[in-house]
Amino acid sequence: MIEVLSLSRCIQCDKCVKVCPTNVFDAMPGESPKIARREDCQTCFLCEAYCPADALFVDAHAEARVQWNEEELVAKDLFGAYRKNLGWGKGQSPIDNLKKIHALRELVGSPF
Amino acid sequence: MSRLDESGLELVADVLVVGGGPAAAWAAIAAAERGASVVVADKGYLGTSGAYAASTSGHKVLPPVALLRDPLKFERYALGGFLAQHKWWDRLLEITYERAPRIWEWGGYEIPKYGRDGAYRGLQGSETMRILRKVLLQKGIQILDQSPALELLVDEEGAVGGARGLNRQTNVPWTVRAGATILANGGVAWLSKALGCNTNTGDGALMAAEVGGELSGMEFSAHYSPAPKYSSVTKSAYYRYASYYDKDGNKIEGLNRNGHRSTSAIAKELLKGPVFVKLDKDTELPEQRELLRAMQPNFFAAFDKVGIDPFQQQWEINLLLEGTVRGTGGIRIADEECGTTVKGLYAAGDAASRELNCGGFTGGAGPNMTWAIGSGNIAGRAAADFARNLGGGQAKRVLQAAGRVGLTAQIPSESVWDAASIVKGVKEEVFPFDKNIFRSEKTLLDSLAKLEELWKTIQGTPLSDTAQHLIRSREAAGLVATARWSYFAGLARTETRGMHKRLDFPQIDPNQRHYLAVGGLDRLWTRPVPVEEEVVPVPEEKRKLQLA
Ligand SMILES: Cc1cc2nc3c(=O)[nH]c(=O)nc-3n(C[C@H](O)[C@H](O)[C@H](O)COP(=O)(O)OP(=O)(O)OC[C@H]3O[C@@H](n4cnc5c(N)ncnc54)[C@H](O)[C@@H]3O)c2cc1C
Ligand code: SF4
Ligand code: SF4
Repeated sequence: MIEVLSLSRCIQCDKCVKVCPTNVFDAMPGESPKIARREDCQTCFLCEAYCPADALFVDAHAEARVQWNEEELVAKDLFGAYRKNLGWGKGQSPIDNLKKIHALRELVGSPF
Repeated sequence: MSRLDESGLELVADVLVVGGGPAAAWAAIAAAERGASVVVADKGYLGTSGAYAASTSGHKVLPPVALLRDPLKFERYALGGFLAQHKWWDRLLEITYERAPRIWEWGGYEIPKYGRDGAYRGLQGSETMRILRKVLLQKGIQILDQSPALELLVDEEGAVGGARGLNRQTNVPWTVRAGATILANGGVAWLSKALGCNTNTGDGALMAAEVGGELSGMEFSAHYSPAPKYSSVTKSAYYRYASYYDKDGNKIEGLNRNGHRSTSAIAKELLKGPVFVKLDKDTELPEQRELLRAMQPNFFAAFDKVGIDPFQQQWEINLLLEGTVRGTGGIRIADEECGTTVKGLYAAGDAASRELNCGGFTGGAGPNMTWAIGSGNIAGRAAADFARNLGGGQAKRVLQAAGRVGLTAQIPSESVWDAASIVKGVKEEVFPFDKNIFRSEKTLLDSLAKLEELWKTIQGTPLSDTAQHLIRSREAAGLVATARWSYFAGLARTETRGMHKRLDFPQIDPNQRHYLAVGGLDRLWTRPVPVEEEVVPVPEEKRKLQLA
């Protein structure tokens, strides 16, 4: 479930409001969006993938609440981790990710 | 009178596409390339919404070589109960081969080389959908995001002429009058939170039935996938590397069969007690692990975020219902062009019955995506042609809104029902394995009786004081309707075929090699529909391979 929207990181672009498939966020004029309907979150991680400021953290627990604080997330390098793994992070290209997959596939054989 | 009658956004188009996943995107592109003006309305955001964007469903693009395509066609032919049709497979594989590589081109990728197995594979779901969205906009297709369709519009002859719905962020209603309408709103997973599935609540099936459409294959709706117990991540391919353990750490054998997990074996174990998994079969090589990580970042997100190493540590699993998303039931396709039984109405992707290429069983690894891409393209072209033949008359047609249950009261009632309690009631019937995986006449009748009560309740006044509430009420109606069709069809199919398992009829019955059309709102009905194609024998060399 979406757990953290970091006010210190957020640049108020409202992208998360726009892209969330289950409409969890509300845009707030002049402020950062609000997590308005957390219980509707389907834990798809896609707001994280779209957030340009790595300001969101979606925990993997789909029903249970898990408390996180920002320091912990920074220490564990979890802000923006999913975005990076998709090849969508700053300075990354998903094309490079694909090249890596192809190279590894050649090396270890196609698993399926 | 409902909230939808208030004035709002009014649009006219040749083709309206309802949905925002790969089927909808491809349908829109195909219609636009045929010269049609197109509007797409998605409940969420075209780019992130639906099962594919979140899950990255894998699919193979195969060149037209029988040696490569036959294995795919025959792999699940028997598992699907011989209901798939090879002529549909051939057509869909051809369209996928022609169309899917365009995504690479549009996204600025080098056209991929075919791998050692002669196939190449898709990009990440979120990346594919990002590219498709860009292409839709470049082609001048208008996208209405966060705008669920809630009801269809019909003309005096009963032909569909568009739809209307609500923007759930502005609360403003929208109406699109269209020459042809394509339902590509995905399957139904009954709000199980299986990865990416919670937008998919069976709205299209209900809308279609309200204008005289039929469903098919709804008995094949019991697809469950394993996920770490705490999570939503139903990515299942890597369970081929799994060892299973009980709570005391003893290995449980027999949960993977022929290299794949067996859902019913896992379900039986889970009914006894907790099951734990570790990915410790053939995953020793660090490069292998790196490859697995690179291929499915979402699978690993479930572990990285909670600090579990799935190769070294055990984690508890559950099975989450994916319903028709990886089952095969949906709106019945009545012709070669992905048309339905209703004039002007087409269906594509999981919204439509996928029995034509999957029969009664799918799972992962491609057949669903082949269907989404193929049926999207077929429906898009056909809808554009249909609209053109209307000669632009769509703006003048007199149209009526066809939505009923969940939008307005069907019988006068003092009290107002709220969606949450209805949704809870449906979940109690469709989630438990002993009701949905292991079916019998008794379980089906019991569940149908409970669902009937829910159906009666929702004939009353839905909670609709806000736009959100109205949308929820309508979704709840879709969930009840699709659950009823699933179990009613399940009751009529007195055999075990595909993913439909009857404890009281454990064998396949050669006399029931037909599709089951199902429909009706208050009064349900089923009707067998013959499979046009005779059973295709497995080619000799393939049979040898299977025996080996
Ligand atoms: C975890 C998982 C793994 C999978 N793996 C594979 C695989 O490996 N291979 C394979 O072939 N298939 C796989 N599948 C199945 C595959 O994802 C689906 O078949 C595919 O997504 C179907 O595409 P679609 O466009 O029909 O539906 P979806 O991708 O589900 O999109 C449905 C769209 O309809 C929209 N919608 C819903 N209701 C409305 C409404 N009322 N108004 C407007 N819009 C609406 C939703 O917002 C969404 O945008 C998998 C599914 C899951 C869940
Ligand atoms: S996407 Fe990220 S930066 Fe933009 S508003 Fe949301 S949290 Fe803030
Ligand atoms: S994880 Fe998905 S559903 Fe949850 S808030 Fe983010 S985008 Fe929305």
